[in-house]
Amino acid sequence: MIRIAAVGDIHMGPESQGVLRPSFETLHESADVLLLAGDLTRHGTPEEAQVVAREIKDLAVPVVAVLGNHDHHADCAEEVTAVLQDAGARVLEGQATVVDNGRARIGVAGTKGFGGGFVGRCAGEFGEPVMKEFVRYSRHRADTLRASLEELREQDCDVRVALTHFSPVPDTLAGEPPEIYPFLGSYLLAEAIDTAGADLAVHGHAHLGTEHGMTSGGVKVRNVAQPVIGRAFHVYHLAG
Amino acid sequence: MSGPGTQPAPGTGSTPNLDYVVAHLTDHLAAGPLGELGVRIEIRGEAILLTGTVPSAQCRDDILRTARAELLGHPVHCDIVVADNATPDHAEEVE
Repeated sequence: MIRIAAVGDIHMGPESQGVLRPSFETLHESADVLLLAGDLTRHGTPEEAQVVAREIKDLAVPVVAVLGNHDHHADCAEEVTAVLQDAGARVLEGQATVVDNGRARIGVAGTKGFGGGFVGRCAGEFGEPVMKEFVRYSRHRADTLRASLEELREQDCDVRVALTHFSPVPDTLAGEPPEIYPFLGSYLLAEAIDTAGADLAVHGHAHLGTEHGMTSGGVKVRNVAQPVIGRAFHVYHLAG
Repeated sequence: MSGPGTQPAPGTGSTPNLDYVVAHLTDHLAAGPLGELGVRIEIRGEAILLTGTVPSAQCRDDILRTARAELLGHPVHCDIVVADNATPDHAEEVE
């Protein structure tokens, strides 16, 4: 059995230093890896990233993360990434990594992803340059997710997990106003996941959403935004 | 058409429309120092209801203070909760 712990949208700032660390220190009892599904900070400053870094540094399980839109707000995404990497996290953007704990090989493909909406209710690559850029940006994120999952297929993984911040499906957005779904996710991510295959997809971003969903291809999707799961993290057991 | 002695044209009232005040508050919470997009702000009659989950009590207090300052004259009801950082007591078996 493979044990995946995950949480997103922890939105840490100076005042929240230390609030997650006690729970994270129990992770070795319940999980093989911790996935962080973006929006780790409130404004995306290196100072806030340092708060996150102190929460995850020297944990007994590997930490794999993607950034979220909040982590980009201060235009310091590279610095935020570097701070988290210095604390030992593997920060993915259009990349894959394999966590090998000696019992199992856990492949994780990660991207922030982006919005655009879902089938029949989505933005198209048409019109003003900024609109076309919006859709192209989302499509590129999805393309890198597909390529990363395909790369993992060649690496003898026991399971493959897609880690994003934005949602690949509308199911896990239930509870959010339907009008803002196009800002919460994109079907392009689900299409990438279904094309390359995965055992689980994990995302955050939708605080008012619900935990459980599934892609059209049958891949289970979990919204692990902390306001949704109501805990420091959730743990998913997968057959390896 | 309006002119001297007629009623003001629609939309020219001196009191800001509550819809727009709430929309601006939403923008200020997101783009301002709080960086908060996770709070829902609903108009309930003359009152305003704030709901959502935030990372800290300080964050909740800051949001409430900002909302009350921008919504002067309207009761502000706060049902914002602080995120629970407890360790989970069970795992999900993903078949």
